[in-house]
Amino acid sequence: MLRFLLQRGGQALVAVFGVVTLVFFIQRLTGDPVLLLVPETATEQDIEAMRATLGLDRPMGVQYLEFLFDMLRFDLGRSFVQNAPVWDILVSRIPQTLQLAAGALTVALLIGLPLGLIMALTRGRAVSRIIMGGVLAFQSLPTFWSGIMMILVFGVWLKWLPPSGIGTFGHLVMPSIALGLLSLATYARIMRSAVIDELGKDYVRSARARGVGTGRLVRRHLLRNASIPVISITALELSQLLAGAVIVETVFAWPGLGLLTVQSIASRDFMVVQAVVLLGAFVTIAANLAADILYTVVDPRVRLTGKS
Amino acid sequence: MRPLTGLLTGVALAVLALPAFARDLTIDLTGEPSSLDPHMQWNPDSYYVYRNIFDNVVTRDNDGEIVPQIATEWEYAGDTELVLTIREGVTFHDGTPLTAEDVAFSVNRIIDPEFGSPQLGQFNQIEMAEVMDGNKVKLTTKGPYPALMAQLVKLSVVPQHIVEEIGKDAFNLAPVGSGPYSFDEWNRGVSVTLAKNDGYWGQEGPFDTATFRAVPDAATRIADLQAGAADLVVGLDSDGAMQLTGNPAVKTLSTPTERVAFMGMNLDKPPFSDPELRRAASLAIDSVAIAEGLLGAGEVPMAQLSSPAHFGYAEGIAPYDYDPEQAAEIVAGKAELAATPATFATAPVFDQRVVQALQQMLNDVGFDISISMTDMPTYLAAARAPDRAERPELNFGRWSCACQDADGIAYPLLHSGSSWSRVNRADLDALLEEARTSLDENVRLAAYEKVHQIVRDDYLVRPIYQAAVLYGARAELEFEPTANESMFLNRMSWSE
Amino acid sequence: MSVAAAPRVRLGAALSWWPAWLLGLLVVCAVFAPWLAPLDPDRQNLLARLKAPGFEARGAVYWLGSDELGRDVLSRVIHGARVSISVAVLSVLLSGVVGVAVGMLAGYLRGWVETVLMRLVDIFLSIPAILLAIITVAVLGPGFVNVILVLALTRWPRYARVAYGQTLAMADRPFVRLSRAMGAGTPRVLFQHILPNISGPLLVVATLEFGLMVLFEAGLSFLGLGVQPPMASWGAMLSVGRNYIATAWWIATFPGLALFLLVLSANLIGDRMSDKIGKGR
Repeated sequence: MLRFLLQRGGQALVAVFGVVTLVFFIQRLTGDPVLLLVPETATEQDIEAMRATLGLDRPMGVQYLEFLFDMLRFDLGRSFVQNAPVWDILVSRIPQTLQLAAGALTVALLIGLPLGLIMALTRGRAVSRIIMGGVLAFQSLPTFWSGIMMILVFGVWLKWLPPSGIGTFGHLVMPSIALGLLSLATYARIMRSAVIDELGKDYVRSARARGVGTGRLVRRHLLRNASIPVISITALELSQLLAGAVIVETVFAWPGLGLLTVQSIASRDFMVVQAVVLLGAFVTIAANLAADILYTVVDPRVRLTGKS
Repeated sequence: MRPLTGLLTGVALAVLALPAFARDLTIDLTGEPSSLDPHMQWNPDSYYVYRNIFDNVVTRDNDGEIVPQIATEWEYAGDTELVLTIREGVTFHDGTPLTAEDVAFSVNRIIDPEFGSPQLGQFNQIEMAEVMDGNKVKLTTKGPYPALMAQLVKLSVVPQHIVEEIGKDAFNLAPVGSGPYSFDEWNRGVSVTLAKNDGYWGQEGPFDTATFRAVPDAATRIADLQAGAADLVVGLDSDGAMQLTGNPAVKTLSTPTERVAFMGMNLDKPPFSDPELRRAASLAIDSVAIAEGLLGAGEVPMAQLSSPAHFGYAEGIAPYDYDPEQAAEIVAGKAELAATPATFATAPVFDQRVVQALQQMLNDVGFDISISMTDMPTYLAAARAPDRAERPELNFGRWSCACQDADGIAYPLLHSGSSWSRVNRADLDALLEEARTSLDENVRLAAYEKVHQIVRDDYLVRPIYQAAVLYGARAELEFEPTANESMFLNRMSWSE
Repeated sequence: MSVAAAPRVRLGAALSWWPAWLLGLLVVCAVFAPWLAPLDPDRQNLLARLKAPGFEARGAVYWLGSDELGRDVLSRVIHGARVSISVAVLSVLLSGVVGVAVGMLAGYLRGWVETVLMRLVDIFLSIPAILLAIITVAVLGPGFVNVILVLALTRWPRYARVAYGQTLAMADRPFVRLSRAMGAGTPRVLFQHILPNISGPLLVVATLEFGLMVLFEAGLSFLGLGVQPPMASWGAMLSVGRNYIATAWWIATFPGLALFLLVLSANLIGDRMSDKIGKGR
């Protein structure tokens, strides 16, 4: 196990390094922030002067090396747009992102998993069809649309919830639902599909033949085996949460990392983008690693390391 | 079927039942300030906020005239020397008096290349600022510079003792100025809160606190206003504003601004390298339909690169003709050249309705225009590409110099030395330089009139309309929008 | 079963396949759009903007109203089918083929192949989709083809991950081991033994993805990175119509309804199919 962890840890570092390098160079291919920072009336000299001030006129290789050295000292650089250390900006956004992720995941799991289980167990009956229809309907509308509809209904018309921003628990409700709806359907479907697969297996039939009740089957065996695909999807969902959160955060003015990402990319705030990508890379790779380890815990048939 | 009228009526009734007015103001901006140090950035969201924390050297009143603020008097001691008399009795928010040293310090700070201000280009005609006896400051410019006063409208005065002590990073996080509101709190990414400055020398603001929030989506800003979560919202267009009609609790405010919307043509590439085809393109565009039919928030069709809000506006320039039949004839006569596929570059921040309408109007007479929408940095990089042949054939822009002077728009767009310009004409260059360096208003006006006429005759650029700015506000908020899109809290009030 | 009951049962069964009929209708709409649409979808009329459904101008009836530039909403919705459906289909195909191939190879061959491929998956998953979108648009230019490319680039890891996990579990099964022991080569094992057995969950993913691609393209349009105007997908129309809910609800409602029905029917069909596949084991 230790060897596995070290091996994968090393690979993870290489992967993170690869992502960050890739992003570093790709960003600079597509323009720089200077044109957006200076007034429209700026002349070529003004622009070059600004580039020099920000250090963007140096060769890319030099900038890259400086970036690497800074990273080793845990210095994430300065934002060109906000004139503040990137670290401070990130730290101010992480709590909001965590809140939103937790909220969305809660909505998705608490509603999606049980629905999926019920659908699998009541398969073939009308109940299952209706629930599935409802679940799929949730997943058939873009988040910017469900977002604005919720804002209009609950924020403007009924005035039950604040239309946008952060601050109270009430502010978290609508964004979590908007973001959780997409994942909810995924979880429900995967859970249902996995449980159905399990139900068709020999050990279930023989257990049933021996008179084992459904409840016990569910608790002892089904959930455990059905959890493999669920875990796999969670690892994916966690890392995709950032991408999906972009639209929710824009619509609800939720100042999380998703909104930061899109705004920084739009203004070519290189250092911020790199830091966000770095963070995202860590989270993704760590999540995948955790998922892989969980595989082995849940299904001992899968070996951790294997050869062809 | 108008179920939402019923919704809005319900909202209106609910809102009217609330207490009449609060002493605090909440404003929704499109983004948060990038910096509260007035010298360190150039974007409207920052400006809306810090402009209430700091006083500037001079300011414009609601009619657009330059009036005293920190400087009470100003006179030219020579062609290149301006002497400002500094107001007495002004204190910063920490109680320290504001002196001529602070003013000179502020000017020298912003023109210092080492400091690296993005606004350097606005002020770099100023060589230096020196303190003089009797609470005066002398500014020396490199040459005669008639736009100096217009530029000083934008220069904020910062406290020398604080800035020198804590440095620019800390000052950005805790700005101290002399304005009607002091800095209270900055919740990064969320909001900035200002508190009333009770010791302000001038007109005090009516609100105890003012909170500026960042709300990127226009539909959400409108919802905030209707739900009562915000009192004033920016960044609306006329169609969005229509959602507010019928709700007595809110209103829209608008005024024409110093932004001029224009269509730029690449004169180095077909089809618009041909003057006749440029004329055809201009004939195909119905400025009135766009300004009044499509936009309709107070936009005014324009036939020159300035507006009534600018110094340098010429009354005698004739509006462009709209004659699509004639345009089609011209195009048919040069069919092959006109059919050159042309790219119309744009970015999401521009009104896409206008871009699509322009494309349709041009294609209807025989051109082959396709829209290429990329994000802003990509758009800017393409529009300003060093090799003019690489630039897109068409681009749409809404230009503002924040100076209300024709020099700020005509020079960058028309002078051959400017990287924005697609024009290379010696006569234009000479006129623009003359207007830029003469202190005689009449000489300047005459030069600009000639410039506008040349642009009009040769269709070098196609101005379309003077843009208007639209705000959404609570019905009880008294706020007069200005042509330079300023938002001074102490000029607003609640009507009772 | 009596003769009289049989036709009724058949009718009932046919009706229960209504998602397929619906999807088929939408596809027909897309294919025959130029003939079905009464007016030119791009023809603007600045004097007839934001008119309610049933409005008449110049002898033409705007059955579903006119949009913010005076274009016929009905015609635009019909033509929008082409854009939305083709973007989704092509991106699913592209990302699916690439992703499944990578996942299967990694799960079956293990060793360094697994390491390299799965780390590649990790790398792609870590790059924000937005970043990829903006960069692709900046480097290659915007447009229909690049939207498909962007969607495929961001989604293929999903297929890879699922295929990988499923292949891992499948590769140890007795019949696979037996096949290898009998000398079957990798391609044969992958295509004949593993792929058919993991296709169940993969098909679920693919049909989910179809709907998601339609929604993500809508999201890209919302951010200004979608297909170029005046071409418009249903998602793009919905995004624009968002700003007109109170004043011209028809601009968003009809494309939104179409989009909703497209995604819903695709999801329902996929669900039915995965049901059948599950039963067949």
